[in-house]
Amino acid sequence: MTKIARRGLGRLGLAAGAAATLGGGAARAQTPTTLKVIWMGWPDNQVNPLMEWFEKRNPSIKLAVEKIPFNQIFQTIEVRLQARNADPDIFICDSPLTASYGARGHLMDLTPHLDASRFAKSALAASTYDGKLASAPFGSSMQVMFYNKALFKEAGVAPPPADVAQRWTWEKTVEAARKLTDAAKGQWGYAFEQSERPYQLLPLGQSLGGVALSPDGFKATGFIDSPAFVEAYTWMQRLYTDWKVSPQGQFDPNIPVEMFGNGKIAMLVAGTFSVATLQQRFPNLDFGVAPIPYFEKGKPVTPTGAWHFAINPRTRNQAQTLTFLNDFMTEELHSLWFKLRPYPPVLKSIWDSEKATFDTDMWRIVRHELDNTALPRPATPGFREYEDLVRVALRDIQTGADVKTALSGAAQRIDREMQKYR
Amino acid sequence: MVSFRVPLWIPAAFLAPALLGLLVFRLGPILIALVGGFTGTTLRGDTVYVGLRNYADLAEDPTFWSSIRVTLLFNLIVNPFQICCAMGLALLVLRPTRGVALFRAAYLLPMTVSIALTSVIWSILLEPSVGPVNGLLRALGLPPQPFFRSENQSLATLILVCTWKGAGYWMIFLLAGLLAIPRELHEAAAIDGAGSWQRFLRITLPLMRRPLAFVLVADTAINFLLFAPVYVITHGGPAGSTALLMFEAYQAAFAFLNHGRSLAISTVILAIIGVIAVLELRLFRAAHERAE
Repeated sequence: MTKIARRGLGRLGLAAGAAATLGGGAARAQTPTTLKVIWMGWPDNQVNPLMEWFEKRNPSIKLAVEKIPFNQIFQTIEVRLQARNADPDIFICDSPLTASYGARGHLMDLTPHLDASRFAKSALAASTYDGKLASAPFGSSMQVMFYNKALFKEAGVAPPPADVAQRWTWEKTVEAARKLTDAAKGQWGYAFEQSERPYQLLPLGQSLGGVALSPDGFKATGFIDSPAFVEAYTWMQRLYTDWKVSPQGQFDPNIPVEMFGNGKIAMLVAGTFSVATLQQRFPNLDFGVAPIPYFEKGKPVTPTGAWHFAINPRTRNQAQTLTFLNDFMTEELHSLWFKLRPYPPVLKSIWDSEKATFDTDMWRIVRHELDNTALPRPATPGFREYEDLVRVALRDIQTGADVKTALSGAAQRIDREMQKYR
Repeated sequence: MVSFRVPLWIPAAFLAPALLGLLVFRLGPILIALVGGFTGTTLRGDTVYVGLRNYADLAEDPTFWSSIRVTLLFNLIVNPFQICCAMGLALLVLRPTRGVALFRAAYLLPMTVSIALTSVIWSILLEPSVGPVNGLLRALGLPPQPFFRSENQSLATLILVCTWKGAGYWMIFLLAGLLAIPRELHEAAAIDGAGSWQRFLRITLPLMRRPLAFVLVADTAINFLLFAPVYVITHGGPAGSTALLMFEAYQAAFAFLNHGRSLAISTVILAIIGVIAVLELRLFRAAHERAE
């Protein structure tokens, strides 16, 4: 696999040039096709094995993979797609962006190439745009609350139970977090993994009955700034400014996970995939898992949504991209992927083949949540704009901005940006 | 006297690469922005003519006006501040004392770090919870500061970071200007009994008008186009307190998929820079003429 596309392409270009000069047509025919792939910048050991597995199966195809960090990935993809050329051939796609890319003609129709019966219902719904399968489901998601057993013991606080029927409320969570916070030691009681992302934070307002966007997907005013969200985010703000139980301004999702691993955070709501990171990086950490809390007067709501990947309809290597699609949809690859980074699988067969793996507290919670409490992000072609503006408002709220003003400001700007999709 | 004619193609050939660069990287994009400000993009990527709609939308948009306010305030402070710092540094390293080359190099060093890397470094240093600067403040018994995370401190912090990066660079230009002032003038004034402050006001400053005019205009243009620290560190926040126009132009194009709006904002920035540069040059030229 070529890690950095430009360098890889340069080398490839040189090789192709030399081949053309020396050997003419015959040599050119042997040059492998290179697919340009934009992928999430997960740790190398969670990405490279997949790409190497593919290249081994397909010696005539090379992958030039650009791994882009989470905080830059959507902007990077946007810049590249807006050029409307054949670059990249394949790109990773956050499932709620399927409609956004689809509306603008950035997705190849995958309906003829995917067997819909193999996928979980929610994954299919997320990959469908305009009645067609427009992105390939690659992993679902769910979050749970991780807690540090030693810190709980030290503070004399009983840890949250793993049983979903005895799920903690947010009120109880804050009460515990205050006991677990020790400013002198730089130890925090509680943290969100993605503390500025609608993905993780919309469920707070939804737990109080809020609806994040109008049902037609074009209006945010009266929805994201409704009393339920104002109340939920006022509570969230107090975590940082009033109770001071959460570290402020940690917007890179890797940092809270590192802090949890280092015993600096007692409770962390994070994705299931963090288990792999925690077990590999912090083998001595003794942690437990509990379901995501809910507001006492509300109901449990959890985030879901997924990583898909998509094919650029302007690719000049259609046959090779379809080979990629087929291989990346095999059970073998999904099984490998699940072991590397444990997202809830989108292939139904993996839930059966990995039965023993799923017999743990965490996966029991995940299955319950996916069946009962999970709510995907709003379906709208304007999700890119929606997410960005809500994200800025959530940042501002975390650092002390007036909640109602921040949400209403974001809602008005979202409404303005949505006009182009009407 | 020996005279020889240089064929026209020789200077033309020497100038061509620079002129080509100017055309491709400066005039071309300016032309694209001017024309593009009157266009919109359909969802499928087709460009359509929309007349003045992008500008009308901007005029009605409170976010845009807030960004204009932030950008003007930022420039009103950062440009004079950077130039004062640069002038101060230039005066400090002017005299050929032992080790002065080391100081000149040290002050110039931030210039060699890319602006994106500068942003990353300072975002780590000034991180409120775990950053080393607050660690130092705590160790000194001082209260930790929110820096970029506070609506009240973010713009000032941005100004300080930009000055850290820019002052040494502008110092070089001002130092060249200072070194070009004939030493005899200072000596004569000293013999006539002028103190160092008087010599600075009556000799140094008047003779520095041309380098200062260049530095002021160039610095203004660069600071109006500032983007990287806002993108890397603050994303325009908190509460729009660092939402400079360039960031708004970026957001319009790549977050909100509205190229016409983005190009209209770019044109507005260009117009503002143009007007301010003319004013600055006039200010300095008028003073210069008066001096003559």
